[in-house]
Amino acid sequence: MATLSSVNLVTPRPVVVANLPKFAKGGPVAVPILNRPWKRVYRLGSRGLRGTGPVRAAPDGISEKVEKSIKEAQEACSDDPASGECVAAWDEVEELSAAASHARDKKKDDDPLENYCKENPETDECRTYDN
Amino acid sequence: MAVPTVCTTQSLSSTCSISAPAKTHLGFHQKQVVFYRRTTKRGGGSCVITCSAADSQTVVIGLAADSGCGKSTFMRRLTSVFGGAAEPPKGGNPDSNTLISDMTTVICLDDYHSLDRTGRKEKGVTALDPRANDFDLMYEQVKALKSGIAVDKPIYNHVTGLLDPPELIKPPKILVIEGLHPMFDERVRDLLDFSIYLDISNEVKFAWKIQRDMAERGHSLESIKASIESRKPDFDAYIDPQKQYADAVIEVLPTQLIPDDNEGKVLRVRLIMKEGVEHFSPVYLFDEGSTISWIPCGRKLTCSYPGIKFHYGPDAYFSNEVSILEMDGQFDRLDELIYVESHLSNTSTKFYGEVTQQMLKHADFPGSNNGTGFFQTIVGLKIRDLYEQITSSKTAASLEATKA
Repeated sequence: MATLSSVNLVTPRPVVVANLPKFAKGGPVAVPILNRPWKRVYRLGSRGLRGTGPVRAAPDGISEKVEKSIKEAQEACSDDPASGECVAAWDEVEELSAAASHARDKKKDDDPLENYCKENPETDECRTYDN
Repeated sequence: MAVPTVCTTQSLSSTCSISAPAKTHLGFHQKQVVFYRRTTKRGGGSCVITCSAADSQTVVIGLAADSGCGKSTFMRRLTSVFGGAAEPPKGGNPDSNTLISDMTTVICLDDYHSLDRTGRKEKGVTALDPRANDFDLMYEQVKALKSGIAVDKPIYNHVTGLLDPPELIKPPKILVIEGLHPMFDERVRDLLDFSIYLDISNEVKFAWKIQRDMAERGHSLESIKASIESRKPDFDAYIDPQKQYADAVIEVLPTQLIPDDNEGKVLRVRLIMKEGVEHFSPVYLFDEGSTISWIPCGRKLTCSYPGIKFHYGPDAYFSNEVSILEMDGQFDRLDELIYVESHLSNTSTKFYGEVTQQMLKHADFPGSNNGTGFFQTIVGLKIRDLYEQITSSKTAASLEATKA
């Protein structure tokens, strides 16, 4: 619980505003989030840990590079499919696709708690029980 | 760098200690070759140059495969057999391709590219072309690591496509060099204690690449197909011929159990093992050197469709004598795995069920339910066996030398 609230403080403010439910009926509950701080903690904690936005294929930089390289390869090969430029261009596409796939796998395994425990296995959060 | 490792046989055992961190041409003070003259009492005052390399027993394994063919998965299985997970070097370049665990260091041969991405584009060569790789440096550094000397290895950054500043690699107990050309250069080939080639057939490669790349926007079926086809000439000319030199080839083909299968989920995997390789004895089914076809599913074991089929027999592969163990089908349940394992011989396991245990440990890896994972695990155990044989024979030899 203590950890959750510490994560909570890090998350940016605008997220709180976006999550405020709109109460059309007015009433005494002006700012419901303040009345129910545990709900706020939970929501911000989950947003904070998982990040905003959908889980994308690969980090944006690499994805864009892949897209660009495919376009370039298609252009290079429009003249002469057997030329060195065409072959080198498709090889670049392959290399970038491999890098993108590795980045995706790395991101999939990126659990902040696991990473922390790898470095500090003796802390309380990382204790394991083998029975 | 005229450091011919003139290690006389008397000094191979690490009885001579590195007393003072002397400065050599490398300038580091850990696990390096220290040259100093030492008079031995035995020789009656004669000078002997002794090599105090700390770990001159590095076993070098080579793994060749095209991009997207399962090298990374194989590496993770292999390092897991030795215990521990392999991680990129801590505190170094985050885009480093090197993986380090307690026993093993995995080096990606892409680091020996002589041309970076722009250079290759200008010249119109692919990474598969030997002109894009510095084989002299590869040979020098692998030789140095094998003799127990740390090296400064360049880093090829796959994200930026540039050659980054080098990183220090210390000689490990087991060095694995993986990439496109580990067996291309003859000198490097001679340094390898064991070599493996992952031979993925075209249909399976296509299916795997579709699986890998369809999640990326920008890719379409046509672009994936075009990419494979345009790389094919270079691949056939430079990479594919390496399989004749490999001690073990893992060939992955589409299944024969399902007629007109185009999903590519069920695979037929053949483990082609060269005969007569030192410290390596092939896995066999029932009887070495005889030919046998085996379907384990029946009364004792019930399998779901399409079942499992095994084949084992001697054969000739590129004019080498080989033994081929083949598996077609998929494992669905734990007891299928253990049943099959119990009928194989010469698997180099240390206890009953070790192959199954390793497969289960990494049940989330691709290929964990078919021959790819199964044979990769077995090859990993064979490498462990090879390593133990080599180290025990080396210590025995050095003990004998000190006695003499």
